Amino acid sequence: MNSSSQSLELFFDFLSRSYTTLETNFYKIPGSAVLARYVRSSHQNDPGRTLLEIILIIFAIRTLLQSRTRGDQSGKHFIQFDEKEIDELVDEWAPEPLAQPLTPEEQAELASVPVIVGPTGPKPKLSSGKTVTNLASYNFTGLAGNEDIKAAAVETLRKYGLGSCGPPGFYGTQDVHIQLEQDIADFLGTEAAILYSQAFSTISSVIPAFCKRGDIIVADRGVNFAIQKGLQISRSTVRWYDHNDMESLEHVLESVEKERRKRKGPLTRRFIVTEGIFDHDGAMSDLPKLVELKKKYKYRLILDESVSFGSVGRTGRGLTELYNVPASGSVANGLSSCGGFCAGSSIVVNHQRINGTSFVFSAAMPALLTVAASEGINILRNTPSILSTLQENVRAVRAILDRVDCIHIPSHPASAVIHLQIRWPTLQVPTHTTSSPSKLSKSNPLSVKPRDPPQFNVELEEKLLQDVVDEALAQGVMITRAKRLRGQELIEVRPSIRLAITAALSRKECEKAANVVKSAFVKVIGKRR
Amino acid sequence: MPSRPSPIALNPASPSQSIFKKKSSTAMSTAASYLSAVSEADARARKHGGTPASTPALSMSSSVTSSSEDTVLHDDGHLDFTDGLSFPRKPPTSEQVFTTVHAEFGHCANEDYRYTSQHRKGVPYKSIPEQDPPYYILLTTYLSYLLVICLGHLRDFVGKRFRAVNYRHLLPWNGYAPLNSDFDSFYTRRLKLRIDDCFSHPVTGVPGRTILLLDRYSPDYNKTMIPTGTRTRALNISSYNYLGFAQGSGPCADAVERCIERYGVASGGTRLQGGTLDLHLQAEALVARFLGTEDALISSMGFATNSTIIPALVSKGCLVISDELNHASIRFGVRLSGANVRMFKHNDMNALEDLLREVISQGQPKTHRPWKKILLIVEGLYSMEGTLANLPVIMELKKKYKFYLFIDEAHSIGALGPRGRGVTDYFGIDRRQVDILMGTFTKSFGAAGGYIAGSKTIIDRLRLQGHSGVYTEAMTPPVLTQVIASMVSIMGITLPAEKPSSPSLALLRSSENTPVIPESEVIPGTAPASALPSWMPLSPSMIDGSDGRMRLRRLAFNARYLNRGLRKLGFITYGNDDSPVVPLLLFHPGKMAVFSRMMRTRATPIVVVVVAYPATPLVTSRVRFCLSAAHTKEDVDEVLRACDEIGDLLDLKQASGERWPVEEIIKRAVELVHMPEIP
Repeated sequence: MNSSSQSLELFFDFLSRSYTTLETNFYKIPGSAVLARYVRSSHQNDPGRTLLEIILIIFAIRTLLQSRTRGDQSGKHFIQFDEKEIDELVDEWAPEPLAQPLTPEEQAELASVPVIVGPTGPKPKLSSGKTVTNLASYNFTGLAGNEDIKAAAVETLRKYGLGSCGPPGFYGTQDVHIQLEQDIADFLGTEAAILYSQAFSTISSVIPAFCKRGDIIVADRGVNFAIQKGLQISRSTVRWYDHNDMESLEHVLESVEKERRKRKGPLTRRFIVTEGIFDHDGAMSDLPKLVELKKKYKYRLILDESVSFGSVGRTGRGLTELYNVPASGSVANGLSSCGGFCAGSSIVVNHQRINGTSFVFSAAMPALLTVAASEGINILRNTPSILSTLQENVRAVRAILDRVDCIHIPSHPASAVIHLQIRWPTLQVPTHTTSSPSKLSKSNPLSVKPRDPPQFNVELEEKLLQDVVDEALAQGVMITRAKRLRGQELIEVRPSIRLAITAALSRKECEKAANVVKSAFVKVIGKRR
Repeated sequence: MPSRPSPIALNPASPSQSIFKKKSSTAMSTAASYLSAVSEADARARKHGGTPASTPALSMSSSVTSSSEDTVLHDDGHLDFTDGLSFPRKPPTSEQVFTTVHAEFGHCANEDYRYTSQHRKGVPYKSIPEQDPPYYILLTTYLSYLLVICLGHLRDFVGKRFRAVNYRHLLPWNGYAPLNSDFDSFYTRRLKLRIDDCFSHPVTGVPGRTILLLDRYSPDYNKTMIPTGTRTRALNISSYNYLGFAQGSGPCADAVERCIERYGVASGGTRLQGGTLDLHLQAEALVARFLGTEDALISSMGFATNSTIIPALVSKGCLVISDELNHASIRFGVRLSGANVRMFKHNDMNALEDLLREVISQGQPKTHRPWKKILLIVEGLYSMEGTLANLPVIMELKKKYKFYLFIDEAHSIGALGPRGRGVTDYFGIDRRQVDILMGTFTKSFGAAGGYIAGSKTIIDRLRLQGHSGVYTEAMTPPVLTQVIASMVSIMGITLPAEKPSSPSLALLRSSENTPVIPESEVIPGTAPASALPSWMPLSPSMIDGSDGRMRLRRLAFNARYLNRGLRKLGFITYGNDDSPVVPLLLFHPGKMAVFSRMMRTRATPIVVVVVAYPATPLVTSRVRFCLSAAHTKEDVDEVLRACDEIGDLLDLKQASGERWPVEEIIKRAVELVHMPEIP
């Protein structure tokens, strides 16, 4: 008993001695007194805090020591191998080929792409030697081949060379770019505009510039591929409404609002993303209603006008005459040049000058293409007859094709892009129209798939439509199927033939071409019915 | 120095425009007449100019009045001849005749100022060892960031309370969340804005050897920039104009003009939907021939080439191994593809091998299924670092680990290699061993857009499966023509044999031209004349390829000279000696602005690109020079002198190693360039 207490005493003595040495050594470190005082006072106030701080320090040290790039190794799924095993595994591993060779059908598809020899225009010459009527290329306003534009382009070439040789941030912004941005802004009546060097990359860069993780995007189910990619990159929360259905939109907006109120989350940015005229089928958005809803629910609207800019409206201004609507459009289609733009308030535009990925990291547009676009706007402004001719041509074509039994046209009557789908007799395959009565049950806004997706046989329809295209080409009219990356679009788009009407053709020529398309349809599809 | 005839000597038959011709109808090829013209113009300038007291040498450098022609002598312009920008300081002698405009493409006839960009066989590739600056530099750099950030937060704090109107777009307003949260935009508002005068400077004219700045000033600390209406000609060491094809005159521009007259400017639609012209096919065939691959495809935007093609190559279940410093477009594309991504330390081949062993042995995360394919994406030349991908080692690893290789040659194509075929050419690696070669036309070719080259199977697949064929507009005819013309200038043209008397003779001749060499060893040949558009005007220097060769050799000299010169001055630079991209480390964020402003306001103004976080790591702010074949040796001298002066002022010379004074570097330039290795 005594001996044990003695040994304990010794032990305590040792402890206290080592503690004092530790303490004196500790106070020799400069600044240690401050630390000690801090720990002491914090411990006095709240002993739990000391524990918390110790845990935090340990955690911080652990995080710092952890290698960031090889995080997987510590994970529970990591399997330890020795070097020999790894060598064996490396030897065993056989990768798939980088690209599968084309199937005969795909080869045929590639071979069927028409090649224009010489300039494009309303009546181009093909590599087969044939001169055809062109209802395939985007040349709504007929500006391709315009002599004034050519002259302006040559003059610019001599003054600026061709390439801009640098991104806009690093001496790539030329006065002609500033001019075109100003021209577009004036033309659309917005505060400012920004130029991108490719139409496709415009919207897929605009969306992620504004929409971040946690933001809410309400998008149309029928948006084009570029928008889909933009939504994907943005990582925002996406809710879908039925294609061009304002009731469905309102319903979705309502449900988002309810959800927010229930969760009492912070106010996040909210956007409606849709198109002016849809690339997929030529339908037109009901913009007044859209704007009304946007204002009611306090959303921002991003409108893709790639197709509608330069093709609808009295002077081709597209659908927007509204403020605070970031509208992105395509210079390529509307003005027969190359590139895209986004117009909106100057805050919206300036934000993209730093955050628009494909603006910042890409070379600016070549000067001569910029000037060509400025010249194009000028021509549109001064010659409103171009747009009335275009509308007349659209009406003429629609008058002929609307009445054909085997064609279904989802496009808006004013749209210069006309999609022609196959109309089957209702018994054979259910089409869009048969699914509409079951509207009572609403689609799930969380999923891109609508409740009653229209049923169609993609392969069969694509094949038949290609036959129609070939038949029309044989008759001297170049048209094209609306090509899609099958399997990569979020929802399968119904196969269609896409006509692009141009103001460069006369009404007679358009009617003639429409009749050729009609007879090709009747010949190929009618035969099967 | 004996003045030999210049390699770009004017062929009397060719109808090119010389600046001397434009001035008067007779060609002023003698120095005397040139000088008299100069003094005449000088006198006129003094008569008209607003500063009668000052001689041109002392007057405000080279501000140019806004009149029509920029590149040519004009009558009532106030031009200064002493800055060497619009006209060479030393007038050409009677034997030297130049066909280019000096302001676009500098006159340099001295054959000594040439070099061949090539990796020496048998030497392992290594870039310059990265030197760390002294600790006090690092410390003060961090401190200055801290200071600016604290100040910024303070200003935000005060501003939001007292001047709320200015912050409205950053705060929730009327039920709308702010478009741009103040946290996200803090860096741009509080840090970048301070030096915004160094970015996005508007310019005009050809972005060639010199560039015309549109002068601007800011009354409110860079919030708004107001153009003054005046213009300044500055030496351009910023544009991606490696081979100097940014020209408003010369054979390429002539070809483009002819094309615009013939084709207009539009191609109308996407490639697969009525937008394919014959020019597209010709250009694609030429690109494939240029690179020596089976096939190639062209896309209308460089950024989009990566962002729309990579998703067609890899998908879920595939792995992309990406260098940590890869370009944003590659990241964009990889993110769209849905493939897994792993990164490795920049150009660290050991890290790459470790990573490869790990990922192949582990397989896909969780499931441990083997990867479908592994794609390694590297850049040929890193545009912020000046480093080259270590291809010799990568090719060895590729054999062992069976991954696919994608090289982004956005900057290296045309700019590297004895024949300008990029980084593979530089290292002497067979291009057919590389699965995908991607590159852009923006940089070396003075055009726009990009290409993907590889085997026919892959390219055909990409034509159908890539986003670009179906959804993006096709490249426009003028751009295609610039691509064709500039590429042909590098390749040279095989003219059809003159009147072959019998078909057998023609056959014989063609077999003579291509001796039996294994396919892989064939140097990508010249362009057959039949492959070019028949209407395209061809100049003699294009046909024999001498123009392109001269450009490549001049660029190689300039690159090596500046890289080594800066190091001899004692600056810390990154990258490879042969890289035309030369980053010079500044470290301090504050020095960026000062450096850029001092360069811009010199007697001979020089425009430079300064980059900092987020494009680089926080501490390594840098200035980046992009050399061009259009620069003369005197231009590089000028840059060296400027850097020397400013470097002393800003305390930038922190590197260890032997130093030379700037005049010695300039004198011994040729020797410096030809040294195998600098001590």
